[in-house]
Amino acid sequence: MTTKPIGRQMSGTAIYLLLGLGGLVSIAPYLMTLNAAFKPQSTLLSTQAWTPAVPATWSNFTQLWQQYDMSGFIVHTALVAVAITVGQLVFTTLAAYAFARLEFPGREPLFWLFIAMMMVPQIVTLIPLFLIMSHLNLVDTYRALILPYVFGTPYGIFLVRQYFQTIPADLEAAARIDGAGTWTILRRIMIPLGRPILATLATITFVNTWNSLLWPLMATSSERDEVVTVGISALQGQFASQLHILLPAAAVALLPLIVIFLLFQRHIVRSIALTGLK
Amino acid sequence: MRPTVEAYLLIAPSLFGFLAFLVAPVVIVFVLSLFSWNLITSPQFVGLANYRRMFADPQVWHAMLNTAYYVVLNIPAQTVLALLLALALNRKLRGAKFFRVVFVLPWMAMPVALGVIWNWFFDPRSGIIDHIFSVFGLTGPNWLTSSTWAMPVIASVNVWQYTGYTMLFLLAGLQAIPQTVYEAAAIDGATGPQRFFRITLPLLRPALFFVLVTNIIGSFQQFDTVYVMTQGGPGQSTTTMNYYIYQQAFQLFHAGYAATLSILLFAVILLVTLVQFRYFRKRTIYDFS
Repeated sequence: MTTKPIGRQMSGTAIYLLLGLGGLVSIAPYLMTLNAAFKPQSTLLSTQAWTPAVPATWSNFTQLWQQYDMSGFIVHTALVAVAITVGQLVFTTLAAYAFARLEFPGREPLFWLFIAMMMVPQIVTLIPLFLIMSHLNLVDTYRALILPYVFGTPYGIFLVRQYFQTIPADLEAAARIDGAGTWTILRRIMIPLGRPILATLATITFVNTWNSLLWPLMATSSERDEVVTVGISALQGQFASQLHILLPAAAVALLPLIVIFLLFQRHIVRSIALTGLK
Repeated sequence: MRPTVEAYLLIAPSLFGFLAFLVAPVVIVFVLSLFSWNLITSPQFVGLANYRRMFADPQVWHAMLNTAYYVVLNIPAQTVLALLLALALNRKLRGAKFFRVVFVLPWMAMPVALGVIWNWFFDPRSGIIDHIFSVFGLTGPNWLTSSTWAMPVIASVNVWQYTGYTMLFLLAGLQAIPQTVYEAAAIDGATGPQRFFRITLPLLRPALFFVLVTNIIGSFQQFDTVYVMTQGGPGQSTTTMNYYIYQQAFQLFHAGYAATLSILLFAVILLVTLVQFRYFRKRTIYDFS
């Protein structure tokens, strides 16, 4: 049995090789983009595109900001993403609690209707949404971007309801005996104990909104409310080969999400482990 | 306040959003598919003309085949890679947490920004892919202007983005398998491959089912990467169904026809999902509640 430890060690090395390679492939595009964003235009299109950006230059960013309303794009996107995220957190928490804990006529059929609608592809709703928004005269406004998603999604309600169901019912019963109403139970029990899943929902919602292209592309047409995805795709259309403009823009669009992810990754990884199998 | 009233008040906002922006659009899309509408003037009732047109439109089948091709390139590669990484991370390893976070990082990336970055990577003059090829004395094809390579490139972008995310679900599945099952198998003298095919894989079915269903539904809706990297080209080689629907609705202003096409896409996604439910139900207890 003396061969066994060696065999184990070798497979350990192989595993680290696999993980190391996977990790490198995962983060290399981020690092290369960040590096390239700080390189002068002349070296970007040459064969030296991969060397480190020494000395680094801010000129690409100043040029991007001079030619484009990047601050505007980012502010619009952040406004829309924050509004939708806050709305979803509030309304999803309320609905998920009702579906998880309260008895009311029609609860089961309503819940299953919600679940069934998870299967509807986004494209099916987009043309009618455009129709609804143009009837309400909301096309090309923030409201058009926010309204369809601010009240929550079936997926979010499902996710949070599953989690609320794991919170011991005794806790709630005891609070009810002490005279606590639904609002107090939500504020004092469900929301504090549900923090991991709410952090996950917030991150998923923020990421999806920040990254979404198709609906903003349809719903906006002027620069005054364009979001960063639409802005970058317009940049790509105009400056297809102007990497010194495009790469800094891509870097700026990616960074906020990475920060959010690193802040919340503990919750996300854990709650996916909890809900992923059900 | 009576509990029933209270419950309805709690679900009221979500229910309103659900009815107004999800259920109503689904109803409207069916109605709209019977109309001809250019998004501006009032819609004209045309009966089933859009459906007849759809079945005679060779580009529909082309876009559907492209979509299927994309799914076939993307899903097996992504799932196998994710499974390998999950198996590696399921052992007691130093740095496992670090790798978990690193692998999930691509999931966050904005597809539009990614498109820009990957366009650069696959650029024949300054891209790193051709640079790597040249180190080995090879010359790459013009990836994105080649109708053969454009779709595999788009699929590989997606594999890069979602492998880590898929891995997380599979890892959760692996960690839910009780260790005692393996101990019992070891006593019975099961070999490594036997353990994998007889224990790990069957017990991983619920997690596999979940990632396959959700990833396939997502892949059928590919739009962003195509929009930024190839605009459906070269020729029609990367025109997916979603992109074709977008073109019909918002570039050619055939909103009624686009509604009909989105019903077709919906029907196909539903069919594929139902087939998976049937297939997996055989040996899986799928607990939704």
